[in-house]
Amino acid sequence: MMASLFKSALGRLTGICRAHGQQQDILHGHLKILTAGLKMYEIPPDHSDVVLPEKPKLKFLNKVPNLKKAKKEGKKLRDIRGPTKGANAFTSGQFAIVAMGGGYIHWGHLEMMRLTINRKMDSRTTFARWRINAPYKPVTRKGLGQRMGGGKGAIDHYVTPVRYRRLIVEVGGKVELGEVEHVLTEVAKKLPFPAKVMSRESLEAFQKAQDELEQNNQNPWTFKRIAQGNMMGIRKVLSPFDLHNHGRFTGKFHFPGRV
Amino acid sequence: MAATLCVRLLPKQGWLPLTQSVRHGSKSVTRHRKPIHLLKQKLLAVTKYVPPPRAAPLGAYPSESQKVQEDSGLLLILKNDLKSVFRDNKMIAVVQNNSSSAEDMMTLKHRLFKHGIRVKFFPNEVTRSFLSDSVYSSMTPLFIGPTVLLVSKEPKVKEMLSALRASPQITLLGGCVDDTLLSVQGLVGFSKLPSVTVVQGQLVSGLTVLTSRTAAMLGHHPARLSLLLQQHVRQQSPEEAPPPPQQAT
Repeated sequence: MMASLFKSALGRLTGICRAHGQQQDILHGHLKILTAGLKMYEIPPDHSDVVLPEKPKLKFLNKVPNLKKAKKEGKKLRDIRGPTKGANAFTSGQFAIVAMGGGYIHWGHLEMMRLTINRKMDSRTTFARWRINAPYKPVTRKGLGQRMGGGKGAIDHYVTPVRYRRLIVEVGGKVELGEVEHVLTEVAKKLPFPAKVMSRESLEAFQKAQDELEQNNQNPWTFKRIAQGNMMGIRKVLSPFDLHNHGRFTGKFHFPGRV
Repeated sequence: MAATLCVRLLPKQGWLPLTQSVRHGSKSVTRHRKPIHLLKQKLLAVTKYVPPPRAAPLGAYPSESQKVQEDSGLLLILKNDLKSVFRDNKMIAVVQNNSSSAEDMMTLKHRLFKHGIRVKFFPNEVTRSFLSDSVYSSMTPLFIGPTVLLVSKEPKVKEMLSALRASPQITLLGGCVDDTLLSVQGLVGFSKLPSVTVVQGQLVSGLTVLTSRTAAMLGHHPARLSLLLQQHVRQQSPEEAPPPPQQAT
């Protein structure tokens, strides 16, 4: 109330001064108007209950898992299809990079994230945590210049599979989103799948919006109804994966806006 | 025989096949989306999200909780005032105020006050809420727009009309005189009537004229009276329909 009164009074005063200055432009062209007022600052958020962990930085993750006998695996593409089965909620942090599609993270990606975030964050006020494991899935390649055949190639490297909506890295501490967002977006852009920076609230809002979309759908014909009822024999072209996900995914890709 | 068979069936030692076997099974390419079957494309198109219709913006419809607000103190006081105005005054005229200035209104008030007519302002909602549950409910259509009440204890329609003639911003809509609803023509006709005492005098004089004439007639000569009676009887009898008309005075 007081501040607004001050503001209006000052506005009127400056208006008068300006009109005055225009009349005697030649003499008072350099007229300086000094203004003063009250400014109300926002109360900063309370971080008194935040406890920083012992080691606030991102841990180094092994490039190769420590196994006695490395075994070759099949491609198993189902580990990047569809929505994630775990790690889709916050544990200790406030902000996170959330995957908006499936994909494989290499050790190089992990190093990039670790180095960038550890370098740019303030370790006295902020901490970061991995929400994914070190690369564990072997990927085989045949050697360069080798003829085809002769069985499966040797293990080339290891990757970490990530599904839609999995949290990759969590960041927390005595910080606000504005302080860490630019670092996290910079990192998220370089990942091999679409990824977004979200806070606890925005992730909740995202989930709520998705639920509301499903609730308020005015289309009586839903994918679920048609697929489960096998209307006009549509199951002929649908897979069990479609039956579970109601056409929201094709492989590792997610269709946003579908219910 | 056996030797030739063996040669045919067994592959040559140290020979490699020149062509590679090509697998035509499922391709596990995740770089791009797989082409979708046409039927599934159709299914996806049919089952798209349809948003609900947009709700009407706020204030597009009148709120339903408007009736609750009616019982505020000021409105009750105004309503009581209006009730007393309708109870105490015999003439209540409704006029429309077409943006007359304060000065015009002042002169009009002054001119009306000379004849004991007062100008009353009431909000239309108060008037309507009062009229809806009173005997004057048929006056409700008059209260539209900026309306003013002209009230007086005596029905002084003539004076009111003459005062209103001088102010063109004020339009007479109708009125209620002695609990009778009158239109503008009705009010004009009412103003042309003579006053009650004059009418009573005329009535009394008319009655007295008859009796005085009878008394004067009885004072005439008996022979003349009998003659008049005979003539009356002759006129009443139906046989002698065409008697010579005789002057009887």
